[in-house]
Amino acid sequence: MSKLSKKIALVGPFGVGKTSLFRRFIDDAFSEDYKSTLGVQIQKKVIHMDNGTALSMILWDTEGHEEISESRSSYLLGSHAFIYVFDLTRIDTYKNINQQIDFLKNNYPNVLIKIVGNKLDTVVVKRVKESLKDHNVNYDCLTSAKTGVNVAELFVDIAVDLTN
Amino acid sequence: MEQNERLKLLKKILLTEEKEVTDSLIADVEQLSNTLNQPIELALKVDPLIDKKINKLVDDMPKKLSPVITSALKAEIKNSQDAVVEALFPIIGKMIKKYIANEIKLLNERINIQLKKAFSFKNFFRSKFGKRNIANEIIVNSNQASVLQIFVIEKTSGILVAKYAKDEFDTMDDDLIAGMLTAIKSFVEDAFKLGNQNLETIVYELYTLHIQNFHNYYVTAVVNGTYTNEFKDILEDTILDFAEKGISKEDINNSEVFSSRLKTYFSEQII
Repeated sequence: MSKLSKKIALVGPFGVGKTSLFRRFIDDAFSEDYKSTLGVQIQKKVIHMDNGTALSMILWDTEGHEEISESRSSYLLGSHAFIYVFDLTRIDTYKNINQQIDFLKNNYPNVLIKIVGNKLDTVVVKRVKESLKDHNVNYDCLTSAKTGVNVAELFVDIAVDLTN
Repeated sequence: MEQNERLKLLKKILLTEEKEVTDSLIADVEQLSNTLNQPIELALKVDPLIDKKINKLVDDMPKKLSPVITSALKAEIKNSQDAVVEALFPIIGKMIKKYIANEIKLLNERINIQLKKAFSFKNFFRSKFGKRNIANEIIVNSNQASVLQIFVIEKTSGILVAKYAKDEFDTMDDDLIAGMLTAIKSFVEDAFKLGNQNLETIVYELYTLHIQNFHNYYVTAVVNGTYTNEFKDILEDTILDFAEKGISKEDINNSEVFSSRLKTYFSEQII
């Protein structure tokens, strides 16, 4: 069995649920308490792929910034994938999302980017999809860290993309 | 002579002495009045007296207050011994531990210098036929630094490339250590913005993390014992030597081969 390690950084504005997604995936847990992340926290989860590869996903849960350019570049450097998380209940977290994604693409070329709308459990899906369409948001996945909807699928998708 | 003139003359003869006394008193009163009404004059007279009083008060204060404060503190400490011990114990304990560790380090370095002198070429022949100072050797060996673990970590991603650990030494997940070390290192290097300088050591109690930077990766050695400058030099040379002879570009992409080489190399080293 071959082993592979990949760095995946969770980025996005404050309070969108990056840490909750991180905890849901790592520990399958959720907490209503909001504690702002200071700096970064790192965890690992090993996924055994169908092709026999044991993929160590080293997740860097970074502190939130309104502008991705304000993030500490040394936390993002060397990433193999970014998960850009926004809050489906707060338009301000996705109205300028394309600029943020362009910044990532320009400064970290050839890095996989997944755009994720979180807090799916608190919105009316049809209405929120219309809003996302109005703001030209090309998301990859809508998740709920609280209920766990689509969380595992998101990380498995990333694992598949990184090992192919 | 008229009667009035005679009376005047008589007064002058009889009251001359009193007039002189009166004039002198008037002059004194004027001088005092000047002194009191002019702050500078008054200060010249009064300040030395106040200073003298203050100095005396300062001298007397410890004597007078000390018994009161001491007895109050004694009573307070006696009444809350547990709280005092609880508050002081960790601080004193750590201070003593750090003090002893530091003193041993200094002692060790002094002994090393002495031993170097003692085992100089000049003294070699003398010592060969004389008695060896075993006590010194024991002290040096008792707290000698040794490498417990070595991590080779990719600089930007913080991904662990290779690892070597002595059999008896184990820690938490190696990938997390590599990631967190990289985050700490990046944070310190960003925070102080001192050009292209790198974090080189992290010390916690008797453990030292020796960090040696290369272009694409860095090596971290976990060292136990007294991390002297002499040991640092040897360790740096050993790691440089390994980097030169033991690492190829292909190895960096093959964690297992790299770890195996690292183990082979460092298990043979005396450090």
